[in-house]
Amino acid sequence: MTLLDRLLDPFRGEAITIPPYDGAWKPNTLLETAAKVATLAQADNLARDGDGAVWLSGGPVLYRLAGRDVEPVATFPSAITALAALPAGGLVVVLSDGGLLLRRGKESRDLREAFPAAVSATALFAGDDGTLLVAQGSAGLPATEWVPALMRKRRDGALWRLDLSGGKAERIADGLAFPTGLALDESGAPVVAEAFAHRLVALGGGRPRTVLDRIPGYPGKLSPARGGGWWLAVFAPRNRLIELVLREDRFRADMIATVPQDHWIAPALRSGESFLEPLQRGGVRTMGVRKPWAPARSYGLVARLDAQFRPVESLHSRADGRRHGAVCVLDLPESRLVAFKGAGEVVDILNREPQA
Amino acid sequence: MTTILEARALTKAFHGNVAVDAVDFDLAAGEVHALLGENGAGKSTFSKLLAGVYPPEGGEILYLGAPLRAEGPAEALSRGIAMVYQETSLVPSMTVAQNLFLGHERAFNRLRGITIAAQQFLQSLNFTVDPTALVSSLGAAKRQMVEIARAVRLNARVIIFDEPTATLTPEERRHFFSLIERLRARGVAIVFITHALEEALQISDRITVMRDGRRVLTEKARDLTQARIVQAMVGRELATEFTPRTGTRPAGARVLSVEDVSMGALVRNTSFSVFAGQVTGLFGLVGSGRTETAKIVAGVFKRDFLRGGAIEYEGRPVRYATPGPAVADGIVYVTEDRKLEGFFENMSIAENLYAGLLAAGLNRFPFVSLSEMKALAEEWTGRLAIRSIGAEARVVELSGGNQQKVVIGKALIQKPRLIIFDEPTRGVDVGAVAEIHALIHLLADEGLAVVVISSYLPEILSLSDRILVARQGRVVEEFSPVDASSESIMYAAVH
Repeated sequence: MTLLDRLLDPFRGEAITIPPYDGAWKPNTLLETAAKVATLAQADNLARDGDGAVWLSGGPVLYRLAGRDVEPVATFPSAITALAALPAGGLVVVLSDGGLLLRRGKESRDLREAFPAAVSATALFAGDDGTLLVAQGSAGLPATEWVPALMRKRRDGALWRLDLSGGKAERIADGLAFPTGLALDESGAPVVAEAFAHRLVALGGGRPRTVLDRIPGYPGKLSPARGGGWWLAVFAPRNRLIELVLREDRFRADMIATVPQDHWIAPALRSGESFLEPLQRGGVRTMGVRKPWAPARSYGLVARLDAQFRPVESLHSRADGRRHGAVCVLDLPESRLVAFKGAGEVVDILNREPQA
Repeated sequence: MTTILEARALTKAFHGNVAVDAVDFDLAAGEVHALLGENGAGKSTFSKLLAGVYPPEGGEILYLGAPLRAEGPAEALSRGIAMVYQETSLVPSMTVAQNLFLGHERAFNRLRGITIAAQQFLQSLNFTVDPTALVSSLGAAKRQMVEIARAVRLNARVIIFDEPTATLTPEERRHFFSLIERLRARGVAIVFITHALEEALQISDRITVMRDGRRVLTEKARDLTQARIVQAMVGRELATEFTPRTGTRPAGARVLSVEDVSMGALVRNTSFSVFAGQVTGLFGLVGSGRTETAKIVAGVFKRDFLRGGAIEYEGRPVRYATPGPAVADGIVYVTEDRKLEGFFENMSIAENLYAGLLAAGLNRFPFVSLSEMKALAEEWTGRLAIRSIGAEARVVELSGGNQQKVVIGKALIQKPRLIIFDEPTRGVDVGAVAEIHALIHLLADEGLAVVVISSYLPEILSLSDRILVARQGRVVEEFSPVDASSESIMYAAVH
């Protein structure tokens, strides 16, 4: 590679390439064939508290998941965008309007006053030391508005640290490309999934350190894996057409101004339901049959990462599948739950769907 | 059936070496007669004797009951004997239509008229070739189609096909077989030289096997099996079936990562990776961009200047303008067209192998060393079992299998870490196929990253640890050979 090539490459559009689904990302149908646990529209966040109760959110409603039963517990004024079970007991519930509620038994405390302005969080991480890490996708848009944030190329996400015993929240990083997942690396530094940059970065003081990049989709929530490492939910795929739209500013501006959001050429949590949708021609569907390798707008993907955040294995629901929009993984002793916001389902990937 | 063509004790020698030794042969009207044998068995020479390319040195040819003494292929053609050559004999600078009518032009030709007539004729054969395209712009398969069409158009009574299906896709092959059926129904006699035994058994009425210039077997196809044919071809028993994989090698480090690479309309946003210690099979129909992608990686072709994608080799971005730096980095491409790109045919085996060493800059001395060349030739002719009269033999004098081994030897001398085989067994006899396959497995076992491009599905299934399928310029799907089937791979290649 010549020096001239290195100088020219940024102008050749080569920085924007989509990594292939191979190696640890090799496609399979393991999400598609996993055993269904529950059907719930907008199934989103999963958490397990110190008492062993499994919590699930769907839209503005908080549910308790007991076996295959989904029991509504509370309804909030806006959609729940993140849940975190605290090691010392209790559950933190984040709302898209900026509400941040700490529930302990029947008590409930609103923590939004700790922030200088409303923070619509996309992810939480409760540390053992009584602190809470809060990822804010965008300073100007609620967490649920990730598609407009992507299409407007917002890069104004932030990471906050809040001491739950009291005091004000501290902003420890900003200018992030829509952070959607949180974890800790082996040194205890926070690791953030930057969805729009398709990478995980460690923010342990000094310069951010990329621990995993070239993720072939939009990374979402991170959750601990039993036996070490992490689970990463990749909530939408990348494809060439969307990358082109993201490069073409004038086209994108026209599209945003004139086309309903559901029909934008943009990643989605579910697709293929309306004849008005983009991406339905021969590349995706041939004679009515959706091709598994089609460059679709939605996809189902979760990956297990090792302790250094390197991908070890991945589970997929491909373009011809229906379990798209995987948003959260909860690894339990007896089951491994995945919530699909797109498909409106919770499945257990340790068990297979019985064959018809 | 009436005998249309008969050869009696036909003999031909080159420089004292007997290539065809007293061969008897007969062909009936409306018969498909397959001519089989290893490379160097004398099939091509024998068929060229029938087509008037070479004059025989002994024996005689009877055509329609009368002795035939053709002064050249043109005369044989005018009498009704046409030959479709393995290496096409088209004029590259002329269009498909002009080539079809070459030698049969009127005093005044209307180009449009020729084009329309050619279009109609090609369509009647189900060949999708643009009659206005220059032959130089066509791929090997399309050239072969034009060559076949030309022979059919001349209403020959005997057509000799020399490996007509080697470059055709399965779909085109099906069209070709239906064409053979139509010709047979019209009473045309067909001699069909092939290495694909299943094809010979499928479409021919009789099969003749040649070995070392002699005819060793002629029998009805329905009375023969693959095993018996192979035994007749090589003189010993040999496994003919490709064994499907029951397990695969684990992937080593990622050696090559191709991301969204584009080159005009031929390669379009293709992405895939290649891992050390594995054979990565790349399957696709003609026009799927397999060869072009491989050539981009190896620096033979350049990807698009703008938005051409990215290639990472051993963790660093690369963009080769010529193959030299790629070879120096350990990337070697073994071409599908060995005659054109694989070797210097008038140079010896030793010189060709040494040229490989020089290209990689691995020569011990700064000048051409005959002793180094000799030692190299001895080592590699032994390692690859290249059978010839000596390392000084010119490559053009070798059989296809041994020529291919020279090309592979030339590549391996360059100490590659990533080796790409493009159709490694095309036009290679069954004995050499087994040896080349064993070598490819050995290379992967030694930890090399190996890519095998092939349009022969059983070969892909038996060689690969992972199978990538290319369609319309991009890799669309990956299969494991353990759970993939020919049907699933073909579906991905077509849809």
